[in-house]
Amino acid sequence: MSASDRRVREVFIELSDTLVDDFDVIEFLDRLAAHCSELLGVSACGILLADHHGALNLVAASTEQARLVELTQLQTLQGPCFEAFSTGRPVQHPDLRNAHGRWPRFTAAAVSGGYLSVQALPMRLRDTVLGAVNLFSRTTGELDADTITLGQALADAATIGIVHQRALARQEIVTEQLQNALNSRILIEQAKGFLSHSLDIDVDDAFALMRSYARANNRRLTEVADDIVQTRLTLTPAPAPE
Amino acid sequence: MDHDRSARVWGAIRAVADGASPSLAHAVSACAQALSAAGAGLAMTRDGGLLEPVLATSPEIGELDELQFELGEGPSGEAATISAPVLNPDLAGVAAGRRWPAFAAAGGARGVRGVFAFPVAAGAARVGVLTVYRREPGPLQREQLEEALVFADALFVLALDSRHGVSPDLDEVIGAAFTARRAEVHQAAGRLASQQRISVTDALLRLRAHAYSSGLSLYTVAVDVMSDRLHLDGDLATGGHPPRQPDPTDPTDPEQDEKEQEED
Repeated sequence: MSASDRRVREVFIELSDTLVDDFDVIEFLDRLAAHCSELLGVSACGILLADHHGALNLVAASTEQARLVELTQLQTLQGPCFEAFSTGRPVQHPDLRNAHGRWPRFTAAAVSGGYLSVQALPMRLRDTVLGAVNLFSRTTGELDADTITLGQALADAATIGIVHQRALARQEIVTEQLQNALNSRILIEQAKGFLSHSLDIDVDDAFALMRSYARANNRRLTEVADDIVQTRLTLTPAPAPE
Repeated sequence: MDHDRSARVWGAIRAVADGASPSLAHAVSACAQALSAAGAGLAMTRDGGLLEPVLATSPEIGELDELQFELGEGPSGEAATISAPVLNPDLAGVAAGRRWPAFAAAGGARGVRGVFAFPVAAGAARVGVLTVYRREPGPLQREQLEEALVFADALFVLALDSRHGVSPDLDEVIGAAFTARRAEVHQAAGRLASQQRISVTDALLRLRAHAYSSGLSLYTVAVDVMSDRLHLDGDLATGGHPPRQPDPTDPTDPEQDEKEQEED
């Protein structure tokens, strides 16, 4: 186990504190991706959700590198997340340098991004699979059973976050909440593009800027993004790091 | 993976279009049929953000759509306000009666029980609301609900095209419906909105129009806008695609992934 029990407890408390009425689903998943990397001792984490077309969409990634690898997976429709999503079971590969036969394009992208092993965990709700969590490591080898158990608990926390504490709710609410998460993501991408021009920064800096503004002002990330693209809110560039 | 749902929805729209170029009316009508509804209506956002009913599958349904806006209450306006579906399984129920007293009564008088409203939108690009009316009370089944969301997406694509006056062939529409969900497309719409001081809806429209006129995929155009290789000025008709050298080392280079994207 790569994290102290105390830290694990803190993270679950923090995540459940996030699940208040006006919580922002993308903010929640973004934090969760970062916590997965930290608690599980992996290098990066990506979270993918299925939309109503049945296609997987990337909704959160803990690093830019992981985001690019995930996008390759989405473009080529192959990779561990697709398998975890379609089978509803965990999928892992301890050494991606030997996985070319299985997922050629994904493997090439992952290895060139410096990731040597991968674990994908399904996000299940009863008999439905909503998406998958991908864990990337810069080292080879399998994750131990305790780490996988904790990883699955975090994936389940993501699922609960998306259905917003209504895990026993009707299927239509699940579909609505999924739709909400995916639409929030679209809005945030639009705002990233908007800031990339208005502040002349790259899209990752734009995301970081929106996130820190939302946190500092105690506002939902999605609302901040909407205000930006509707020109109701003008952000100023972050001061240069010291 | 269930890509079949999109193909099924577009197939249903094509069947209603019966050889003609798919229109908003065809899609609304196909949606009502697919959900075994009494009918469906489409309200669209005019300048200034006000919703206005534009078409319905029958005069009776059109009246109900109009009534919501005259009364200033009902699921359609609410769906637009909260940017999320508003699903009401029974207008005769207590909840609907409290929420929309006049509209619930009017619906009941016309024998309508279930009303389901879906935003026709992508993020901040909000073009309207699709409303489905059913005679039987009860929630939509999961498959029906997901199909309705796909119909709303189809209407989004058709609405952008109808504003620009292009009627692309169906394969193009289906391809675009898939690629429009890519992060880069939405980033590019935001970037263009800031560059041109236009709405995100208009920016998306310009991206799509440029893709048509240049024969490039929407994704390729988006990547070019984000990397500053392409500047779309206000006059789209003359907006050209500058010569571009594909960078073989660039993992996001669109040329390399063109095939997979079209299948995506």
